[in-house]
Amino acid sequence: MKHLPKHLRPRWRYVAVGIETWTDAEVGRRAFQRALWYSAGNLLGDAGSADADLTLLSFSHADGTGEAVVRVRHGHVDAARAAIACVSEVDGEPVGILVRGISGTVRACEERYMGRATASSTQRDVAFEGAERAATVRGDACDVRTESGRVGAMTFDTE
Amino acid sequence: MYEAVHAYPDGEATVARHAATAARHGYDGIVVRSRDALDAAGDEADGGAVRSGAETRSSPVRDPTALSEEHGVDVVDAVEIDADDPTSASGAVGNYRSDRTVVCVVGGDDALNRFAVEQSRVDILVRPMAGGGDVNHVLAKAARDNGVRVEFDFGPVLRETGGKRVRALSDLRKLREIVSHYDAPYVVSANARSHLELRAPRELVAVGEAIGFDAEAVREGLRAWGDLVDRNRDRRSEAFIEPGVRRGKHEEDGC
Repeated sequence: MKHLPKHLRPRWRYVAVGIETWTDAEVGRRAFQRALWYSAGNLLGDAGSADADLTLLSFSHADGTGEAVVRVRHGHVDAARAAIACVSEVDGEPVGILVRGISGTVRACEERYMGRATASSTQRDVAFEGAERAATVRGDACDVRTESGRVGAMTFDTE
Repeated sequence: MYEAVHAYPDGEATVARHAATAARHGYDGIVVRSRDALDAAGDEADGGAVRSGAETRSSPVRDPTALSEEHGVDVVDAVEIDADDPTSASGAVGNYRSDRTVVCVVGGDDALNRFAVEQSRVDILVRPMAGGGDVNHVLAKAARDNGVRVEFDFGPVLRETGGKRVRALSDLRKLREIVSHYDAPYVVSANARSHLELRAPRELVAVGEAIGFDAEAVREGLRAWGDLVDRNRDRRSEAFIEPGVRRGKHEEDGC
């Protein structure tokens, strides 16, 4: 179809989202998109969800960190921010969400907020609570396995 | 702005991980609600230096001052008193008031809510509506008169779905209407149990707006933690005698 004249095209804002999970969690693009729409549908209703749009334009996730660019309709950024903040788990894996910033173009969004170098993770045993425990260390962060489950710690805790 | 968190062993992340995440999210400090996660702030004056020298640091780190310096956010020792009845809550408040900066009482039961708002020794009544608890105009007036802050818990809004979330939202609305009508003091928190459950202040403000709060009210609720911490630290300092009376610089011993 012939594209719309410029004044009728929707205006977009691009939201850069930082994602954090446990290091052993797998979060896929489709699952994250579903979680976003589900969260928007629940918080804003169908009408609000359609207004906000929340289409995922790019997504990457590995080793417990990830990032995404989410397209939002201009003027609905606050509602979209609320819906994004309400994503608490994807496919049963808890996720931490941080909106890094908002831009008017995809390019500006990627240049300013995306592609931050993240340290690669390594498996090693750390001293935690007076015992040696298996852990995944990524930069300063350190996910320790204990009897009661996973515990988020810092290398500061284990030295 | 401050956020109040549950740290390991009560939650799934250590105080250090919470502090690092909160710093990235733009918070000025965290209030650690878990009693067993931190040493009381008064203790390190005599023991801290010795402990770090003679003995290796405990793991996870429990010293609020060391954590504040490492991560660049204020780490505040607090306690959450989760008692079965007002009598045992009263005993616990008496025990912890003198060595913790912030004392919270977990509500969720009519008798406990009533107890918490009528005690000026209590700083915050947390989760008053959880598990069938209720708040009315009598409690709101008592909270205002005794300076007890009432917590708006955004946790269920962020993490629950379906009927539970609907009930939490309607409870929040009821609480908001009562609290704002009587001008009772309040705080806002996401009740994070792990670093993954923390949300940045702007996100909490956006969520608040989406569920009917005023944006400035949510910001005020997040700032209120910091104001409370400053007030309590001032009260626990040596110079403080009683509200409005301080030990002056010119005073000397023995005159």
